[in-house]
Order: sequence, then C-alpha cells, then structure tokens
Amino acid sequence: MLNKKLTYLQIAFNRSLLEAQKMIVILPVSGRILIEAGTSLIKQYGVQSIIALNQFWTIRLGKPGYIVADMKCMDRGAREVRIAKSAGASAITCLAIAPIETINYFLEHCKKEKIDSMLDMMNIQFPFEILQQLRVKPDIIVLHRGLEEYQGSKKSLPIDQIAQIKRVYSPLISVAGGEDFKEVRHSVFNGADIAVVWQKFAQKPLATAETAFEFLKEIK
Amino acid sequence: MRLEHKKKYLQIALNSSFSEAREILFNLPVSDRILIEAGTPLIKSEGANVIREIKFLKPYSYIVADLKIMNLAKKEVILAKKNGADAVVCLGFAPIETIDEFIRLCEEYQMDSMLDMMSVKNSLLVLKKLKKPPNVVILHRGADETENREKLIPYYQIKQIQGALNNVLISVAGGDELSEIRSAIFNGVDILILWKAFYHPGAEISVLANKFLKEIQ
Repeated sequence: MLNKKLTYLQIAFNRSLLEAQKMIVILPVSGRILIEAGTSLIKQYGVQSIIALNQFWTIRLGKPGYIVADMKCMDRGAREVRIAKSAGASAITCLAIAPIETINYFLEHCKKEKIDSMLDMMNIQFPFEILQQLRVKPDIIVLHRGLEEYQGSKKSLPIDQIAQIKRVYSPLISVAGGEDFKEVRHSVFNGADIAVVWQKFAQKPLATAETAFEFLKEIK
Repeated sequence: MRLEHKKKYLQIALNSSFSEAREILFNLPVSDRILIEAGTPLIKSEGANVIREIKFLKPYSYIVADLKIMNLAKKEVILAKKNGADAVVCLGFAPIETIDEFIRLCEEYQMDSMLDMMSVKNSLLVLKKLKKPPNVVILHRGADETENREKLIPYYQIKQIQGALNNVLISVAGGDELSEIRSAIFNGVDILILWKAFYHPGAEISVLANKFLKEIQ
C-alpha cells in the first residue's frame, strides 16, 4: 500500500483521543503522513482508538488515510490481526521478540487479511537471526529504540542496520525512537523509508501543523 | 505484596469477549485464592476500562492487568492503577531500563509487579540484571507456541528462581493440560494461570475452578 519511492512521516498518538482529534484536524493534508494508534492509546481505549483515528484522518484528508495499529503483538498473532483489521487499520505491528510461531501466524494472517505487517525489532540485537526463521517476510521492519532505553542509557539508534537489511531483503524500513530533526534526517539519509515520531508533537500539541511541516521538509 | 507466600493461587485469564467474560465471572466461586486476569486481547479490544468493569463485578477480587509492557512503563502502570488493577504485567524481554522503571513504579503505586518471561531463554540472567526483583515471575509458553510439541514450559526454572530469590512468587502460564498442571505443582509453582478451560462461559465453570483449586492446594 505504501510507495517504495516515497519517504513517510508516522505520527504516533499515545495520550488521549480528544487531544489526538485536536491535533489531527490541523495536520497538513499529505499522503506522506501515517497516523499511528500507539500501544498505550490502544490499551486505554481498545479498538475504538483505531476506529476514531481513522475517522479523524479520513475527514482531514478527504479520503481514507493510512492508519498503523501499534498492537505490539506478542502472542495470539491471528487474533490480534483480526482485531486491528476489523477496526480499519492499514498496518499492524508485532514484536520480533515474540515466539517465532506467533510471528509466522501474524505475517500469514496479515497477508490473508490484506493488511501491512510491521515487525518491531525493539531489543533485538541481530534482526537477521529472526528474519531467517520466518516463512513469510514482513512488509515493513521497524528499528526501534525505546523511550526508557534512550532516557536511561542514551542508547543510539540502530541506523547502521538499515543498509544491512536492505542489502538482503527488500522491505520498507521504519525508524522509531529518534525524535529530533537531526536524528530523523540522519535516519532518512541512511535509507529509512518511514520516520516514526511523537514526542515533539506531544510537547507542543498546538504547534502540530508547524512541527509536521518541519519534519516533512527533513524527510523529502 | 498482597499475595501470601504460603498460599497457592489459581489465576483465571479472561481472553474472549467481555460479554463472555462477564458470564464467566458470574459463575466463578468466591475464593481469595482465585486471581482474575484481564487478558491482553481483552484489554486491546475493550480498553483498560475493562479492568474497572471486572472490579465492579467482583469487587473484592485481585485483578491482574496483563498489559505486557514493552515500553512507556510509566504511562501503562498509571493506566492500570487508575482502573483499579492490583497487579500489572511487563515483558521480561523489554529493555532492562523499562523493567527497572516498571518495578519501581509498581512499588510507588502499590501494585504487584509481574514479569512475563515469554520468549526469554534464561530468566535468571534477566533477573540478575535488575536493580530489584519483581514480586512475581511468570514462566510462560505462548498460546501460539502450544502447537509446537518441542516447546516445553521450563518447570526446572521454578526451583532455580526460588533458590536464587527469596521473596519472589512463581507463576506458570501456557500449560493447561492436567499433566502440565501437575508438573507445575510438583515443581513448586505459586500461581497457576489457566485460560483454555475458562474461555467460554458455561455452568461447569464453578466446578472446574473448584477442581483446579483442589489440585493446587
């Protein structure tokens, strides 16, 4: 569903639906923006969060947009794909630390349900060890530095893995956890197709439009 | 910690729809040895409010919020607390910084911390890296893994962990067959987590719960 020649900005919403609505209605109208229902938002509101974000973004764009359900699936792969699909998600995430059986069920059901699969490599040192074991490959690989990892040990973004993965497989690569303009620019320069951000938007919700424009400029 | 070291508990995981969960709750016997879990798929479908609904239906029960935290520990621990959970679950595979923060926050908000070792090969290696151990360690074989006969629950780790850490309770999930339940009990498990027998409502729920409670006495 995503164009391999474009780079995208994925904005994650993790707080309240009311705030998300206020922010989405002022976002620039751009097909390069993907809207993410963050894990915390899904756990707070359930599938309703995906349905609501889908509605807000569709109204703003004037056509259906791209909605990522960050379910961080760890077990019951098929069930979670069905939950996200029924709520209208365009893509769903699964943790790469999940059992291989779960990831395989997840990927097969994503294909069956025609929804993009995103495999989140958070806390995985060697992504190839996981990728080699899979029967079906994910559409998108997410290289992810967690919030506490950054705040605690200032771990760097796994940007060097972008080229390594692209040399062997041809999925889209998404980079999450690099929040400032410099890190986003760096990720895209190194071949990332999607930059996932949320903190800058959460810090200044009223400046959502300006922040989005800035990021879109960086990932041109 | 609200749970007692000398007691053995049965944790019933609610993973189907909330209407089915409601019926199951009505049929459960009253016992301080039954813990009720708001399962991950249930929370993801209905939202964390489902924890509050369970608490409303079973006001004196001990409720576990199986949030399977991987990141943003503060947000999710507060979410569980606000909705009335007594315990919350974090993944043992989460970054160490996240787990440390999770355990600290659980203590601050007076909830029990449960660390789910699904996919973790050596639980003790993770536990040794932590600033403080969690209240409960869950040895877990995932629902999707049960079809792979080669994947066994590491019952031997129960004694290993109990030997290394004094105040930690051990919970086992993913072994719903009677032979597996007996293995867990034989190896000294403190909390037995079951879901298959309690997936759909029915009149036999009460009988089943009493039967399992007797098994783990």
